[in-house]
Amino acid sequence: MNEWYFGLALFLLTLPAIGLLLGFDRILTARLQNRVGPPLWQPFFDLAKLFDKEGLLMNKGQVVFALMGLLLQACAMGLLCMGGDLLVTFFLSGAGSFMLVLGAFSALSPFSHLGAHRELLQIVAYEPVFFLAIIAVGWYEGTFMVDSLEGNLIGVLPLVVLALIPVLMIKMQKSPLDLATAHQELVAGPYVEYSGPYLGITKLAHWFELAILLGFISLFYTNDDALWTLMGRLLLIIGLVVLVAVIDNTTARLTRGAVVLTTMTIGIALVGANLIILALYGLGGLA
Amino acid sequence: MISAKWTKRSPWILHFDTGSCNGCDLEIWALLTPRYDVERFGMVNKANPKHADILLITGPVTRKAEERLVNLYNQTPDPKLVIACGDCASNGVPFFDCYNVCGGVDKVIPVDLYVPGCSCRPEAIMDAVVQGIQMWQEKVEREGER
Repeated sequence: MNEWYFGLALFLLTLPAIGLLLGFDRILTARLQNRVGPPLWQPFFDLAKLFDKEGLLMNKGQVVFALMGLLLQACAMGLLCMGGDLLVTFFLSGAGSFMLVLGAFSALSPFSHLGAHRELLQIVAYEPVFFLAIIAVGWYEGTFMVDSLEGNLIGVLPLVVLALIPVLMIKMQKSPLDLATAHQELVAGPYVEYSGPYLGITKLAHWFELAILLGFISLFYTNDDALWTLMGRLLLIIGLVVLVAVIDNTTARLTRGAVVLTTMTIGIALVGANLIILALYGLGGLA
Repeated sequence: MISAKWTKRSPWILHFDTGSCNGCDLEIWALLTPRYDVERFGMVNKANPKHADILLITGPVTRKAEERLVNLYNQTPDPKLVIACGDCASNGVPFFDCYNVCGGVDKVIPVDLYVPGCSCRPEAIMDAVVQGIQMWQEKVEREGER
């Protein structure tokens, strides 16, 4: 299972899988709104069109930041697929998210700057929760290496999975936590000054970013049978995406302060509560 | 070069009101409702010229809006398509020869398709957009040859 070609195949499958998942999410959203919705392949059509269009640039720095973002996210995903260190994956992916902010700040546009500020607020909101979730996994398992994780984590760390749902909502740019890409107020937030192929590059980086979080969540389910593990993980991911789509279509956007406060406090409290319960019962690798 | 079959499946629209009475604007918004649901064709209202492929323009172009319209047109990356929605946008009908109006959209920027009607019906706009996607595909192919 831990051969290098298995990891490579997983890495190559990442983008098609995330594209299909986003297509499924768009159809689901349309059905929830009593519409038919786009075809399942729509995210790939969008991407193909973007790479075929003319790219208008404000400055050359934008391209550097977009490419750096994609590179960092792809490295982080590669590391996760190869069974590497969860913490390194997290920090690489975090640096990649920050590149988007820098790219948005490099253009002289108020919408872009507002989007960048809000993206920073989102990072403040979800990054501690995501980090603590990884720490919790490491504390229980005694290791941060993906390929040495053992056992069914969802049974011992259920509250951590709950805490990751708001993180997933922010990463999927879903209401009520979609501050940065609030389309009614900010048009496209940090993406506003990117066009054509450069927008495509930032989109690819976002797909990888999403894949890292979903990949981490999928680690929580393991079964002795490899097929059951795969099915269980897919079901877990699809179930969470359905939940996020339903919440997206039934809630209005929160204010900036409320997003940071709720995501951080609820997330940290859930992870903390889970760790305290584990410690009380004397579970955990380092306990 | 990516196949035009793929690229034409994702036309993103920008709607701009150059001085319309809001009649045609409402009909454009009707396109996004469950009844007409243009996301079936991959169309999404992006409200951003830098992400747009098709410009849906409504209303006669007032002198104030002229500069902004040109600005939006220049900010839209090629290949792009301009659709003038409604009688006012097509030739400025009731505002003909007004001191504060340039006339139709084609007086300011090149227009590819005209949708008649006051206000234009959503069905007519959809017909124009579907025809527009064909023209857009031809444009994409021409751009590819260039």
